[in-house]
Parts: sequence; structure tokens; C-alpha cells
Amino acid sequence: MTAACLQHKSPFLRLARRSSFLPLTGLMCVLLLVFVSVASASRDVVSENNETWRGPAGETRGDSHNQTNSTAHKKAFPVLSFNYEHVRKPFEISLWILLALLMKLGFHIIPGVQNIVPESCLLIGVGLLVGGIIKAIGEEAPVLDTKLFFLYLLPPIILDAGYFLPIRPFTENMGTILVFAVVGTLWNTFFIGGMIYGVCRIEGGQLASVDPLSCLLFGTIVSAVDPVAVLAVFEEIHINELLHILVFGESLLNDAVTVVLYHLFEEFTHAGTVTVVDAILGVVCFFVVSLGGILVGAIYGILGAFTSRFTSHTRVIEPLFVFLYSYMAYLSAEVFHLSGIMSLIACGVVMRPYVEANVSHKSYTTIKYFLKMWSSVSETLIFIFLGVSTVAGPHAWNWTFVIVTVVLCLVSRVLGVIGLTYIINKFRIVKLTKKDQFIVAYGGLRGAIAFSLGFLLTNSEMKNMFLTAIITVIFFTVIVQGMTIRPLVDLLAVKKKKESKRSINEEIHTQFLDHLLTGIEDICGHYGHHHWKDKLNRFNKAYVKKWLIAGERSTEPQLISFYNKMEMKQAMMLVESGSTAQLPTIVSSVSMQNIKPRGPARQRAIPSISKSREQEIRKILRANLQKTRQRLRSYSRHDLMIDPFEDNVSEVRFRRQRVEMERRVSLTATVILFMSVRALEIQDSLCS
Amino acid sequence: MGFNGTSPLLDQRGELRPEDFGAIRELSMNPIGDRIISAFFSPGKETVDFASFVRILAHFHPTETSRSRDGVQPEPANSRTRKLKFAFQLYDQDRDGKISREELLQVLRTMLEMQVTEEQLQSIAERAIQEADLDQDDAISFDEFRKSLEKVDIDHKMSIRFLS
Repeated sequence: MTAACLQHKSPFLRLARRSSFLPLTGLMCVLLLVFVSVASASRDVVSENNETWRGPAGETRGDSHNQTNSTAHKKAFPVLSFNYEHVRKPFEISLWILLALLMKLGFHIIPGVQNIVPESCLLIGVGLLVGGIIKAIGEEAPVLDTKLFFLYLLPPIILDAGYFLPIRPFTENMGTILVFAVVGTLWNTFFIGGMIYGVCRIEGGQLASVDPLSCLLFGTIVSAVDPVAVLAVFEEIHINELLHILVFGESLLNDAVTVVLYHLFEEFTHAGTVTVVDAILGVVCFFVVSLGGILVGAIYGILGAFTSRFTSHTRVIEPLFVFLYSYMAYLSAEVFHLSGIMSLIACGVVMRPYVEANVSHKSYTTIKYFLKMWSSVSETLIFIFLGVSTVAGPHAWNWTFVIVTVVLCLVSRVLGVIGLTYIINKFRIVKLTKKDQFIVAYGGLRGAIAFSLGFLLTNSEMKNMFLTAIITVIFFTVIVQGMTIRPLVDLLAVKKKKESKRSINEEIHTQFLDHLLTGIEDICGHYGHHHWKDKLNRFNKAYVKKWLIAGERSTEPQLISFYNKMEMKQAMMLVESGSTAQLPTIVSSVSMQNIKPRGPARQRAIPSISKSREQEIRKILRANLQKTRQRLRSYSRHDLMIDPFEDNVSEVRFRRQRVEMERRVSLTATVILFMSVRALEIQDSLCS
Repeated sequence: MGFNGTSPLLDQRGELRPEDFGAIRELSMNPIGDRIISAFFSPGKETVDFASFVRILAHFHPTETSRSRDGVQPEPANSRTRKLKFAFQLYDQDRDGKISREELLQVLRTMLEMQVTEEQLQSIAERAIQEADLDQDDAISFDEFRKSLEKVDIDHKMSIRFLS
């Protein structure tokens, strides 16, 4: 895989040497975009009275166009015409995305930049630049619209994270993650909100009009750790699994808390008074939001898994089911103001084991790559838009407020983590060390979710001030903390992620230890982690798998599927490296015994005949053999090309054997034909 | 503690027999249940007393906090090595210090509970031994066992929080 990558990189390396190429393209794109928006601005002025230009209805545009054409005096038939309005919206969207991706490409080509500055910072920088250019021209820049963010940009990232969530570390550390997410966020909110209110009271002046509820609302928005930012930064530092899952899990699960608190405080701000009943309802709301979100996600997940059971004849649309069911889960949760993020995660987690058992290998790869692709594009766009919106948005800079906010965010995070870890460590088997605590505290990055929530605030004179402070906090955490976390990780010698493939030994022994621990727990009478996991597995095997997995795969034990996957991966690696002729020694000799090629021995027995005869015979054979193959393969757009590594390994083995048999059969046919031809020749020579 | 958890089955003399373990329902459903039970009894003995019972369970105490408990022994019972040794002995029924191919096959057979063909079992066992076996003696010694599990967090995995 790495060899192929390097091969692809070399033409780019050659291009990069003429290093002005890529920034030039980027610049051209920027200029083009600016030109386009300017042109549209002038067009706006002209067609101001025509109100339908904003709408998606291209037909009305076309009608008015035709009308103007027919009412005007007869011109010569236009061979080439310019109609930009027709494609304006998709054109601009595509251009933005293209620009974003070109920038991302550029960063990876320019050497050295990547090691110092994380990608997110560079993208924000690009966003700032583009925003600055657009503003300088006087155009209105596209802002990070809240609807756009929450409905289109955020779901792919969360789905990607949820679908590939490492379940084992997540469930093992679930308690810790929940404590950090719920209690930590609550602590942050109230601490920041309260202190800000206190500071505002002390400062007076412009800040005196800030009321406590607004402060708490502000605290809610700015205290939530952001999954997008965490993913973007932690992706590059390859930290060990435990810390990664702690910070990342926290950023995912605190969405429920944020949603509840946000709506709560917003309601209170409008209502004016807060009673005890409201507070209790708030707590109830939290449980409803989080558990409801998970329930919605689980329902859609089961539906998706059930659907995938029947897709064996329409493999092409399998990935779509995964995406659509997950997206529907997100949207359905959002309808009821439940936590969309938790719903999406639950859907991905529930769906995955069953879908993976049902879909073909190609669909699995498609799902994986599409998710990674979409989440990558989304992430890039989010950071660029963040930069652009910063330049564009209305700002109300207040030194005290902003600096106090930034400092308070840091302080409350550190205090929160230390305090919570002290309590958590009493219940953990593997304690969190001081280094771990530091990374968890330092990795609490704020991001675009905070910004979008701030944007949703009702317009008031404080909104701009809040927004400015939020942006500053986001910039500070992403840029400063994001840039410095990597050298700090190296400095503190924090354990890094061990790059390793799971070996079959690990899998066997881990399962063995699972059974062992379950047994010991039963002896002790202690219903711990393993006991419940075992119960869940049994329930899964007995009832759920039968319904959700197609065919005989439903009774396949986990070890076998793991083993099959490994075999398949190895076989594919061999094909990619081009050494199919050489059968591997690592793969078990038992299954390979009957496939040892006996071809070479046969070939030696073929008698030699004249060249022209040979050519004739070859032509005949080729024509006949090809005809049979062509009869089998008919082209259809909806069929995938049959190739040897389609479904599962038993099929692989079967096909291997069949290919081998075919080869042997054709070889035998060749031999027989040659022998008969030779016999005929001999007969001819004898007769004549 | 846990001993009291099995007290309905407790022999009056303060000793446990294999049948007492067998009465625990979940344990009988466990594929390697009988191996675990036999691990409590020293070879040849029919009963286990409280002290030996606790000694076996001490393997599963979380690693860090027991420095004070086992000051007498040169190596505490719940160190990583001792935990792994305990697990290794469950594989290695004939106590020859190695997991032979046949022993591995037996374990796989009990864990996979006859849902797979003999051929698949052979392939898996073959592959496992080839991966782990560094000195090419067609068996897995304790060191090789330990090496193949070096990426697994044994301290976490083989620990039970004792609620006492």
C-alpha cells in the first residue's frame, strides 16, 4: 500500500519542485471566485426588480429570458451565449469545495509545513485570507450559516467517527467518559458563567447590562469540547488509544448536555423567571434528550441492519442504505430536539457489526472511503468557513471580556479535569496519571459547534460581544493549543499509539481471557464488566444475529470472521504486490494443499510441433475459449464486474479452485488437441 | 467476599469441591468453565481450602494498589507476569511449559463450540502457531505467549474490582 502511494507521489514531487504551480492554482481559484461574485453583484443590480433570481426555479429564469429575447427585435442566432445565472449556485458551491481541497492538497505537498502547523490552523488561515480578499473588494462573504453547518457539514464527520468508533476502549472507559462529559461540562458552564457574571458586575460600564442568564448561556456555548477540532488535531499526533478515546468520547457525549443546557437557558431568558420546577424539568430533559437520541439512533441502526440482510442482489446500492439510515437518524433526532450527535453515533455503532457481515467487500470499502471522503471535505470546509466568517462577521471587541473568557476557559478546564480525575481514579482499575490528566485538559478544544450555537443567539447588543469572545476562544484553542500539543506530547513522552495489526494470537487469547474473566467473576458472585458483556454476546448470538444477518453468516463465530478477514487481506496484499504465482507459506498449508499447481509438469509432456501448426491450433483454441467466456459476461450498468475477490473467503477459495480447475481443464484440452493434431499429421505422413 | 457468594454451596468443613463450582449456573455455560475450576485445585487434590482459593483469586487483583499486600513474596501474585502465567497454565493442561498444537486445538474447539469445520480449526491453529512461534519448535512457550500479548493491556484486562 505504501509502495503504491510513493509511486503516485513522484509526479507530484516533480511538480512541487516548480513550487509556484500549486499556490498559483489556488490564487487563480480565489481570483476566479472573487471575479464571479463581483460579476454576480453587478448582475444583481441589473436584475433587481426580477425577484425570482434567488429561487431554485431555473424555469422562470428561462421564461423571462425567452420573453426578453422574443420581445427584442430579431437578432442573429447566437452560436455562443453566456448564461451564468443558470448554474450559479452549484457552480459556486463546487468552486468553494474545489478551492478548499486544492488548499488541502497544497499543504501536503509543501514539505515541512505539516510538522509544525496542524492542518486546521492552515485552513483557518486560508479562510481568513479569502475572507479578507472578499471583504476588501466589498463583496458579502458567505458566512457559516447555522443550518448549513448543522445539517450538511457536521453529520458526515460524526457519522465517520461513530461508525469507526473503537468499541472496546470506548465501553471499557465509558464511566470515565460519561463523568467527564456530563459533570465536566456542567462544571465548566457554571464556573465560566458565574465568573463572567462576577467580572461583568465588577467591571461595569459596557458590561453592566449583562444578566446572569445570558452569562450562563454564554458559558454553555463556550464550554463544550468540540469533536471536529479534537479529531482534526488528535488525528495528527497519534496519541495512545486511551487518551484519544477519553477526549474524543467526551466531545461526542457532551452534545446532549450542551443541547439541553442551551435550550434551557434560552427558554429561561425569554421566560424571565426560573423556578425549582424548571430546574427539575431541566434534569429530566437531559435524560430524555440523551436516552431518546440513543434510542432513535438504535432503531434506525436496526432498520439499516435488517435492510442490509436482503441486499445480496443489489450490491451497488448497499452503501447508500448505511448513509441514508444514519442521516435520517440524525434528522429525526433533531426534529424532537434530541441529541442528533448521540443518535448518529448510536446508529453507526448498532448498525456496523451486522452490516459488515452482510455487505460485500466492495461495499465495505465504498462505505469506508465515502465516509472518510465526506468527513474530510466537511472538516476542510468548516475550518475555511470559520476563517471567512471571522473576517465577515460583525464584531464588538471588548478587551476585558475576551481575555477573561479565554483565561477562564483554560482555568476551568484544568480545575475540572483535576477534580474529576481525583474522584474517578477511586473507581478505575488503571489510574490516570498526571501526564494523562494534562493531555486531557489540554486537548479540550473548542470549535465550530460553539461558533454556530453562538450564531443562533437572538440578536442583542451582547450577541456581537459574545460572538467575538467565542471566536477568540476557538482561535486560541485550535491554533495555540493545536500547534503546541504535538511538541508537548513529545516532551512529556506520552505513550503513542502502537501501530499494529491485530494478530490471530491476540484475538484468540483475548477471547480466552474474556471467558476466563467471566468465569472468575461468576465465581466471585461479582457482576462486573465481563459478566454483562458475556450476557450481551449470548443474547446477540441467540436472537439478534438470526434476524439481522443473512444466510449462514449468522452463525459464524467471531473468531472465524476475524480469521477470514485476515486471510482475505493477505490474499489481496499478495495480488497487489503481483506475486500470485508464489503461494504464501504463511497461509495454512492445509487449505492450500489441493491447489498446488501441477501445470509445469504437464507442459513438459507437450510434444513439439511445427510453428505454423501451433499458430493455427492456438488461434482455434483462443477463439473457442473466448467465446464461452463472452457468453457468460454481458454488460449491465448495474452489475459490478466479477472479479475473484468478491464476497467472502470461502468464495475466494472456491473461485481459486475453480480457476485452477479451469486452467487444468484448458491445459488438458490443449494437450489432447495437440496430441490429436500430431496423430493426424503422423497419419498424413504415413498415408502420403 | 466471593467465598461467601458461593456459600449456598459451601461445604461445612470450609472447603470447596469441584461439584460446588459446578453448581454455579453461568460457569457451566462458560466454554472453558471446567478448566477454570480445575485451576483452583492443585494436581491430585480433591478439595481447596479458603487460603488457596484466595491465593488463586489474588491473581486478579488490580496491579497498582497491592504493593503493600504482598510484601513477603518476591513477586506479588497479581503482577503482570503472574497473571499471564495463570492464563498460560489454563492452556497448558499437561504442564510441560509449552502450548502444543493439540492443546491449542482443544482450546479452540471448546471456544468455538463445534460451529466450525475441523479444517478451519486446523488452519487457525496452524496460523496462530506460525505467528507466535519464534524458536520454531512447533509449540508456544511462555515467553512467546507473553510476547504475542505484549500489546494487550493485561493489567486492565485481567483485573476485577474487588468490592471489599
